[in-house]
Amino acid sequence: MSISLNNRPNRSQLQRYWELLHVLVEKNLKGRYRGSFLGVFWSLLNPLMMTVIYAAVLGTAFASYYDNSIVNYILAAFTGLVTMHFFAASTSQAMSSVVANGSLLNKISLPVSVFPASMITANLVQFVIATLPLLAIMTTIISGSVINAIALLFPLLALTLVSTGTGFILSALFVFFRDIPYFYEVAVYGLRIGTPVFYPADVVPEKIRPFILLNPLAQIIESIRQITLSGNLPDLSLIWGALLGGVIVCILGWLCFKSLQHQFMDLL
Amino acid sequence: MEAIRLNEISLWRRTQEEFSYDFKKSVLSILEGKYRKPTKKLVLDRVSLNIEVGETLGIIGSNGSGKSTLLKVISGILQPTIGSVKVFGNIAPLIELGAGLDPSMSVTQNIILYGVMLGFLRQEMIQRVQSILEFAELEEYAFAPVKALSSGMKARLGFAIATDVRPDILILDEVLSVGDASFKKKSRQRIEKFWDTNTTILVVSHDLRFIQQWCQKAIWLDKGQIKFSGDVKETVEHYLSSIE
Repeated sequence: MSISLNNRPNRSQLQRYWELLHVLVEKNLKGRYRGSFLGVFWSLLNPLMMTVIYAAVLGTAFASYYDNSIVNYILAAFTGLVTMHFFAASTSQAMSSVVANGSLLNKISLPVSVFPASMITANLVQFVIATLPLLAIMTTIISGSVINAIALLFPLLALTLVSTGTGFILSALFVFFRDIPYFYEVAVYGLRIGTPVFYPADVVPEKIRPFILLNPLAQIIESIRQITLSGNLPDLSLIWGALLGGVIVCILGWLCFKSLQHQFMDLL
Repeated sequence: MEAIRLNEISLWRRTQEEFSYDFKKSVLSILEGKYRKPTKKLVLDRVSLNIEVGETLGIIGSNGSGKSTLLKVISGILQPTIGSVKVFGNIAPLIELGAGLDPSMSVTQNIILYGVMLGFLRQEMIQRVQSILEFAELEEYAFAPVKALSSGMKARLGFAIATDVRPDILILDEVLSVGDASFKKKSRQRIEKFWDTNTTILVVSHDLRFIQQWCQKAIWLDKGQIKFSGDVKETVEHYLSSIE
């Protein structure tokens, strides 16, 4: 089986992919915030509200793990929650993206993976505009070093890779099983509890802790917290751990997507 | 010079109706031992086709004979199970374009979005916006959201985007009849211009008179197989005699 579709021979496939990604991300963000630039900051509302709730309910109980400072707990919870929120929102949007564009895919030949990729990218743009500056300011104030603020980009890259890989798998599965969102909701809930987002990793029993740290999101959150809150220079081993997890998930997701892709069109 | 070469392509497709789109049901049916492998149907059966540059080819056949599927294989939307497809030049599918238009975005943004999907660059599309708006007679609506357009206007917009640039290969699935009488005339003229130039054109239609009038050659598809191919008159005659 071979297809050689010289659709515009002088232009590389890569450039076409990039152009498509660009217009799809633009369409996505414009659709979300129709004209209001401040709308991007709306995405901060969810993690901020959750932080307030967790701090009010659990802050005093866990403060002892954070040098008896409720402020430190709030910062730790916030960093965990923005990470988790990015992951949950971007992957669940990526999930439905292939099916939602099914009728389009039946009319024009397009690289299918651009749809989940554009959802993740749209969320990334939003994160970079709304959340990242806040994290960078926090980091610079607490650690007193711009290096830490710049180093935040590495765990963010890892987070993007993990979300992209997961988004690929989910969007492929959703083509076959339209009740996947229901199961994914449960899975994300489990992940929210199973990742040290609003509690310190120290409260987890010794025996279970290694399993929690296998979770790539936990690695990423640990790295972000170390960079933002510890006041020390970025810990490279944490960054490498986060990036490694990201690369692995992304490659797995891509392989899964590619191996199922040829069956998509019969079901769209 | 060749424009399209199909070499012994066959396509098996999954029949959708018996497929369960449910993870829960699929798991339960496996547990109960009732799981059946999804059946596949042969939609295209060893189709070979050579089309030269500038040829106009009509594709005829009854419903479900695989005409549209064949066009999808040529456009690269579907990939054949076996056999090879070679296409030289860029293809413009001229199809009902409702699917790609985003109702909440403006007409101009939709032109750019749609053009990029068809394989153009953003920069090129930005330059083309004006001529497309002009042809579609929608200059006043440049910044209005697409949902504000009537269905006829939307069809005009879709037609104007897809035909603004001369493609090497034009694909027409069913004869176009969009817009009011004056736009119909205009769109017909534009398509006729493609006929005059060296564009390769593939037409799927049930309108045999249209095919006979506009195509040099034709193929007759039946149950995924080419029953006859050759001169358009002969093909249509064979097809008609099979019906009677």
